[in-house]
Amino acid sequence: MSILVVDDSEDVRLLIKTFLNSAGYKDILLADSALEALALLDIPCEGLKSAPSKKKNLDVDIILLDVVMPEMDGIEFCRIVKASEQHKDIPIVMTTAIDESKLLEVAFDSGAIDYLSKPLNKIELLARVRSILKLKKETDQRKARELELVELNRALFSANERLKELSSLDGLTGISNRRGFDERLEEEWNRGRRSVTPLSLILLDIDFFKFYNDTYGHLAGDECLISVANSFKKTLHRPADSLARYGGEEFAVILPETNEEGALKIAEDLRKAAESMGLQHETSKVADHVTVSLGTATMIPSEGSAPSDLIDAADKALYRAKEEGRNRVKAALQQEENT
Amino acid sequence: MGKEEKIIVHVDADLKSIIPRFFELRCADLDLINRNIEKGDYETIRRIGHSMKGAGGGYGFDYISEIGVAIELAAKEHNTEDIRRWVDELSVYLKKIEVLYDE
Repeated sequence: MSILVVDDSEDVRLLIKTFLNSAGYKDILLADSALEALALLDIPCEGLKSAPSKKKNLDVDIILLDVVMPEMDGIEFCRIVKASEQHKDIPIVMTTAIDESKLLEVAFDSGAIDYLSKPLNKIELLARVRSILKLKKETDQRKARELELVELNRALFSANERLKELSSLDGLTGISNRRGFDERLEEEWNRGRRSVTPLSLILLDIDFFKFYNDTYGHLAGDECLISVANSFKKTLHRPADSLARYGGEEFAVILPETNEEGALKIAEDLRKAAESMGLQHETSKVADHVTVSLGTATMIPSEGSAPSDLIDAADKALYRAKEEGRNRVKAALQQEENT
Repeated sequence: MGKEEKIIVHVDADLKSIIPRFFELRCADLDLINRNIEKGDYETIRRIGHSMKGAGGGYGFDYISEIGVAIELAAKEHNTEDIRRWVDELSVYLKKIEVLYDE
């Protein structure tokens, strides 16, 4: 803790230092001019050529400042300190002769917190310094607490964001889960309604996945789900396309601003991607490797329809893909999309 | 004030170490004022009076503050006669002071 005394009178500097020392304040800095004080605080200022002190940028807790000084007066100095982001909270007490009281208003306007009249009275000086230092300490503690709270808030916010992210992710595959899918579909539905653009959805199933699990075990089943999800991630290139794990072995892909033709093409790409993994599936009835069946549906979202209509239509198309022999893509029929 | 008469001034014992410097500075003030009377630099004299006014009482020498006030005023009025009178007064006063330190 240090106290900076700025006064052009050596008598006053010595007197204040001695009074403060007698009360146990040991770290007293003296400056005989406002410019020297600015240099001590390391505040840049016009006309300040070189810093007279090597000890710079000090941690000052209070400044006792003479109002009337040659070159730069206390008022100007006070304004400069109060304009410095780093130093603006240092309390400044003006010291002034009784007949300079008209300057007090200007002094307070410039940012001084209090004043002491000259000739100085020891008891008054020490009482004033003590109470201001106490106030400064409390202010510093409050500021530190506020800073701590801001930090905590930030941490809480990012933890919440992360939690939100995690709550919409599938733990096994790392892609969106059903919750994430529902939110995203709702968003894209509304966007499509505003922009009057088609929204497509692909629903797909791993063929005979129950048999896969029965044959290779659940751990292998999980591995298969991860591999399929990864191959789909690699296949989907457009940033707006959104892949999700819809159910056990069921996946969904939301395709904004995509018509039926586009959806069919992407669905076919996904089918090929799954097949080209060449993941052995000896109990599948359609191939000796893992395959998928896909249904697509496309709608222009409107007032009279809902996202669930799109899901139903894609689900019906998926059902037909399975019915017609699996390992294929089927688009929803017009009447499926209209119901 | 008689020449032999001593003036007892009670001063805070904490100030013991800086009182000699205070007197040195007052003697320097006397020299400086005298030199500036010759030069007619009343602004410098006014400033010295002003500083004396602000410092004296703080050390316990209220009368030095009063002399400071008088010198400041006389300098403002360019009243050389009054300045000389108060300089003499200060000079005599400094010689008569006997400091008693209050523990």
